[in-house]
Amino acid sequence: MEENRSNSAGGVGGMVLCALIGFVGALVVGWVIFPKLLYSEKTQPIRFSHTVHAQLGIECEQCHHLGPDGRLAGLPTTESCAECHGDETGDKSPNGKEIDKFVKDYVKTGAQVPWLVYQYQPDNVFFSHAAHKGFECTKCHPDVAKMDNPPAYYENRISGYSKDTMKMWQCERCHASMGTSNACYVCHK
Amino acid sequence: MGVDRRAFLGLVAGGAVGTMFTPIPWKLLDDVSIWTQNWPWIPKVPKGQIDYVTTTSKLCPAGEGLKIMRVAGNPITASGNPAHPLSSGGVSALARSEVYMLYSPARVKSPMKKSGKAFVPITWEQALIEMADKLGAAKGSVACISGDQSGTVNEVLSAFVGKLGTAGYFMMPSEATTAAKGMQVMGGKGQAGYDFENADTVLVLGADIFETWGTSTRNRKAFSAKRPVGVKPASNYIYVGPTRNNTAAVCDQWIPASAADLGVVALGIAWHLIKAGATSAAPGFDTLRAVVNGGFGPDDVKRATGIEPAVLAGVAKALASSKAAMVVTGSPFGQGLGAGAFMAGMALNILLGRINKPGGVYALPELATVVPGAMTREAMLKADLPGFLKAVADGKKPAPKALLVYDANPAYGLPEAATMAKALEKIPYKVSFSSFMDETAAMCDLVLPNSLTLERYDDVVTPYGSGFCIYSLVTPYQKPVHDTRPTGDVILALARKLSIELKFDNFLQVLKEKVASLAKTSGGFVAKDVMPWQVAAGKPAPALAGGDLWKALSAGYAWTMVGSVTQTGLGFAPEVLAKAVKPGKTSGKTVTLAPYAQLRTGTPTTGIPCQDLTMVPDTELLGETTMVRMGSATAKALGVKPGAMVKLTGAGTHCKAQVHIFESVMTGVVSAPLGFGHTAFDIFSKGKGANYLALLPVTEEPGTGMSMWAAAEVKIA
Repeated sequence: MEENRSNSAGGVGGMVLCALIGFVGALVVGWVIFPKLLYSEKTQPIRFSHTVHAQLGIECEQCHHLGPDGRLAGLPTTESCAECHGDETGDKSPNGKEIDKFVKDYVKTGAQVPWLVYQYQPDNVFFSHAAHKGFECTKCHPDVAKMDNPPAYYENRISGYSKDTMKMWQCERCHASMGTSNACYVCHK
Repeated sequence: MGVDRRAFLGLVAGGAVGTMFTPIPWKLLDDVSIWTQNWPWIPKVPKGQIDYVTTTSKLCPAGEGLKIMRVAGNPITASGNPAHPLSSGGVSALARSEVYMLYSPARVKSPMKKSGKAFVPITWEQALIEMADKLGAAKGSVACISGDQSGTVNEVLSAFVGKLGTAGYFMMPSEATTAAKGMQVMGGKGQAGYDFENADTVLVLGADIFETWGTSTRNRKAFSAKRPVGVKPASNYIYVGPTRNNTAAVCDQWIPASAADLGVVALGIAWHLIKAGATSAAPGFDTLRAVVNGGFGPDDVKRATGIEPAVLAGVAKALASSKAAMVVTGSPFGQGLGAGAFMAGMALNILLGRINKPGGVYALPELATVVPGAMTREAMLKADLPGFLKAVADGKKPAPKALLVYDANPAYGLPEAATMAKALEKIPYKVSFSSFMDETAAMCDLVLPNSLTLERYDDVVTPYGSGFCIYSLVTPYQKPVHDTRPTGDVILALARKLSIELKFDNFLQVLKEKVASLAKTSGGFVAKDVMPWQVAAGKPAPALAGGDLWKALSAGYAWTMVGSVTQTGLGFAPEVLAKAVKPGKTSGKTVTLAPYAQLRTGTPTTGIPCQDLTMVPDTELLGETTMVRMGSATAKALGVKPGAMVKLTGAGTHCKAQVHIFESVMTGVVSAPLGFGHTAFDIFSKGKGANYLALLPVTEEPGTGMSMWAAAEVKIA
């Protein structure tokens, strides 16, 4: 027993060293590896270029309609997109190919594009765009108008929600800074 | 250096401490909590483009226009259509359930044929073949019961059974049947329509105008429009009835009176009006004056009803001094009030000179029929269903050989339920066109499910209570959820099989022709910028715009017409009134049963909408027991304590109930909720409480001969 004790890895100093290794290792796993494991990366079904559309002078609200009361009417339907992109172009450019893919897979089949929405809130959250219409869209949403390729969509493997879904603390912080109530029922109806 | 136990512990401890400085535990906790929202039994909010479409409610008798919110083309919820005159943005608990009921577990999912005590699914073709065979054999003795008071589908059904040789076409009893009988006896023409929007004093005799009577959603809107918050009300509402119900609760005055005494109260007011100098050129005035003076003086009325003479004098004064007074009469639960009370109420309107006047009672014309051989609504409303079924049950009339039941549930929704069920059992072949497996469908040989409102074309034609003629379209917005069909189409297909000529191949053609006939009707217009009550008040009616009426109706607007049938013989019918309205007095160990109905507990045709069950308070339904309400004085007289279980006996049967002390029920009356006690439907309706309609015996009203059951005495033990 005496021999065993003296052979242990450096005694107390060795133990501290191992603890330090464990501590640093945990930090590396937690801050570097864990996020990569937690999220799966997905791409949009159609490589939609917001830049091209923005350069044509199309405003956000032309496709992402707000109702008369300021309520967001959701994403455009296949039928809405088909008003401009109803037929295959035969264009072999990258953008032309995406248009043709959209027409072939969705317009001709009558299916809706399963767009990946970066900021859908959980169902227990009531978020009114009408109440937030004084803000620029890019205050909360990624500024996609400047992106030719849609950003990658990261889906949380546990919750199933997007990495970009706004967290409660973010809502609360903004409400507090604006002097708006943070009572539960404001967002949870 | 090997890793021994101490090194390992150090590594673990360091790792554990380090982990606390990373997002791992906190993020995992957060994500797991969010993940609990993904449990499969939690309903999901659908994603997709949100839009709104319009239609009209068929579940709610108020016929309000609806705005349906859709997400990615799926109907999600219903709200009131602000552009519709019977809604003005309002919606009832029943109309709101139009979307949810699509997925009710009680829906009949395909045609069903009775096999022994159970039902087996069959195809539509098999069903049509069987029906053609059975109805062909029953020719000359086919009856029909319809629960749709306002649809053109009644034209198709009545023409069909008429050509088969009808044994009777019956509407489920309602205020419309009572009013039609009253108008007929008084020598009047047209459907009574009430102009709430322009009235400044409204005396409500019994009718629960903000809940179950007539165009209740529109009535509420008209009421609130004249009474903005913080401003002196521009109208005065007085309610007379046995309970302080949803109507009485917001009226300016509640005068307690039993439903059996509503006619007495009306004639008591007439006594005061006549004494103050009211007169009329209408036939029978002199006799009416003699009748009123002979038995409806202040003391007579006090003896019969307990109402102080000064109270009635005050009501008479309020009516006489108003510019636009109106009297509305109805049963507190929407059925069973004899025509006598209606006639007495109309007598007041005539005395006040309020017929066909803004803010008064309009005699509305009936819109032209389009199906050859169809009955008029006036003719349909004449038939007395409870009287007929009672006679069949008692063997006084032969049972028809076949019965078609459309959108109705007579086995549950009629008084003396046991008698009605006995009569129905005597009919050898029965078919129910019901969307739900209700009590009547369960008794039938064949159940042919009708598509629901959002799945079919249909219409609403001037529901009872409306102060103007109105036509609204019902438009389908989705394919039927189950293997159901619109009954109008089924009947037209059946007619073809039986070589009966009804002119139309499908029901959509019928509706198009109906709309085309409206477009030619002089005086009609689309209510858009000008509303019909404004026209009644003197604003010029706009011309019918553009000609494409169908398009306007599809967009949620209603066709309306302000008009009245010229009355040539409308009088007081005092001889009949004298027989039908007689002062009486309740006494002894019995109390008067005063049922009340609320739209949140559905109708006999729909059962209780699932989402509305959560709105039923514990003071109405506790567990599986329904509560009856009575004042403490009544409870003391009966010797029952709050919360006690009691047995109510009447009409040869009995129901259980728990006692709830509620001082808004007049002394000597026990108030009971309707809509409960279903033995069919789904878990939301079945086995909850008792059906107190069963306790009400059907009696024949003296003078009019009409069946009545609005108030009956019950024993409580």
